[in-house]
Amino acid sequence: MNIIEVKNLSFRYSQAEVLRDLSFDVAQGSFLTIIGPNGVGKSTLLNLLSALLQPDSGTIKIDKKTVESYSTKALAEKIAVVRQEFVPVFGFSVIETVLMARTTHYGQLGFENDTDRQIVNEALNVTDTTGFASRLLSNLSGGERQRVFIARALAQNTAILLLDEPTTFLDLKHQVVIYDLLKKMQMEKGKTIVVVTHDINLAAQYCDEALLLGTDGSYQCGTTKDILTTEQIEKVFGVRTFVGRVGQGKFFLPLGKFAKDIQIVSTNPNCNPLK
Amino acid sequence: MEQLLTAKKLFRRVLLALIALIVVMLLCSLIGTQHISLKSVLASSNRQNAIDPDYEIFMHVRLPRIILACIVGAALACSGVVFQAILRNPLADPYILGISSGAGLGTIIAIVSGFSWTVWGRSPIAVFAFVGALGTIWLVWFVGRFTGKSNVTGLLLAGVVVNAFFSAVIMFLTSVAKSQQIYATIFWLMGNIAEEDIFVLWMGAGFIIAGIIALFYISPQLNALSFGVDDARSMGINTAGTQLIAFAIAALITSIAVCLSGLIGFVGLIVPHGVRLIFGPDHRQLLPLSGIAGAIFLAASDTLARTIVAPAQLPVGVVTAIVGGPFFLFLLIRYSRKIGWLNK
Repeated sequence: MNIIEVKNLSFRYSQAEVLRDLSFDVAQGSFLTIIGPNGVGKSTLLNLLSALLQPDSGTIKIDKKTVESYSTKALAEKIAVVRQEFVPVFGFSVIETVLMARTTHYGQLGFENDTDRQIVNEALNVTDTTGFASRLLSNLSGGERQRVFIARALAQNTAILLLDEPTTFLDLKHQVVIYDLLKKMQMEKGKTIVVVTHDINLAAQYCDEALLLGTDGSYQCGTTKDILTTEQIEKVFGVRTFVGRVGQGKFFLPLGKFAKDIQIVSTNPNCNPLK
Repeated sequence: MEQLLTAKKLFRRVLLALIALIVVMLLCSLIGTQHISLKSVLASSNRQNAIDPDYEIFMHVRLPRIILACIVGAALACSGVVFQAILRNPLADPYILGISSGAGLGTIIAIVSGFSWTVWGRSPIAVFAFVGALGTIWLVWFVGRFTGKSNVTGLLLAGVVVNAFFSAVIMFLTSVAKSQQIYATIFWLMGNIAEEDIFVLWMGAGFIIAGIIALFYISPQLNALSFGVDDARSMGINTAGTQLIAFAIAALITSIAVCLSGLIGFVGLIVPHGVRLIFGPDHRQLLPLSGIAGAIFLAASDTLARTIVAPAQLPVGVVTAIVGGPFFLFLLIRYSRKIGWLNK
């Protein structure tokens, strides 16, 4: 069953058109990555999916209903969003932050009940943030903070998780921790996960589906295996890559003009990904 | 999970704070140029016929003034909390979006034009200040809305520009006014608490307390808004509605406070910060405790203002700034270090 259905979606900011006639579906319980150069509208697409922006034309359906037909509260029970890191001006602690996901469920006096606490505790456990639950958000490392925001998204108890570049500022270990966590949520909880990323290699390793957005308004959607090819990547990003294989996965090595191995690839026909 | 705020914990803290407020009010009412004793006040409240001077001073001079200081202090502190939350700016205070210049403009217009009528016992100065304050903040809101999605910056800029423009108009009017009128304006602008008509007092108190209670009901939403409009919306918060309610109530209670007592500075900035430093940023707690702390702070400041250079009186705004500034620096150093040290 398709939990997200996007049909003929177009959107333009006053200066530039970013999305043109885009259609794709996301099956329930799948892990989709949205990839593309800067400025093609990846974050815009996330904002359209979470109804922060309204499309100029086309429709977005979440669970068979258009996003516009949801109230803010009802949509927040379907979709949780993790945006690029943002630390609030006032010092909230980790657990206070995660509890905020339950705000719309608070009782008359504005306080959470036992169910809310249980959900929050579970979200803290699964993201491995329980150990610093009482620390201030501003005193955490980037990787810890990103896990807290994922915990908050999980505490919303939604079927769909949208993430905007969740690993951009993280080191290798924390990148892997985040993707392992997302994969676990997909496999164990059956969540549908949509992640915008610039990391083609992590996407190739973890995601089932890929949506590749091009600068000219073109796009490709399909399994990561079909979409993430060296031809497509060169076409969309304008960068040659060397593609290698490990088991079922692939890895991509970008080859710029002065890259160390550019000579080998250009002279050795077996190595040249374009041949 | 022990450190989490619960309804019970909040209730207990608010109750304790209220008791502290009553104690402070009582103490302040006994301090003054004329020494009065609580015993004779209580004794004469039982007798009907004889007029006891202590009772008269207590009931008709000191208590109304202390109550006025309390409601003004509570209003300024709570609206400071709200403006800091919706503008996501720790430097915000109740006057940041142009209330001060709007009220100032209203005042000087009233003084220069020399009206002499009254509305509910309020002088034209207070009425014009109220209208000016409320009118200006709606103008700023209206202009800020046009600047689009990132309307926090838009609002702040609109506030700054309107403030600058109205200040220029104020200076123009000042330069054409008579010196006596200028003196009256300046004295009012400094913020001043005086003995007040009981009816006006109850009206003001009613509106301000109702406003603070209404703000308490949207305090969980204010928490979520601290993470920005986008995040709050994806958590299911009706951000536009929350912002509008918060803004409207904060503007109204500030305008009432300004109408009652002029421009008393510092309360709306330092009380929310002081309470936040000690109790944390959770608005469910920050709002009621700031209200009570603001009341205590202004009642105490006003007591100082009317006794320190007795028989003359200082404008209370001078005292809030002189006392509040160093006290806030002390809090800042003490608690920032403590928090930093605990987390290392």
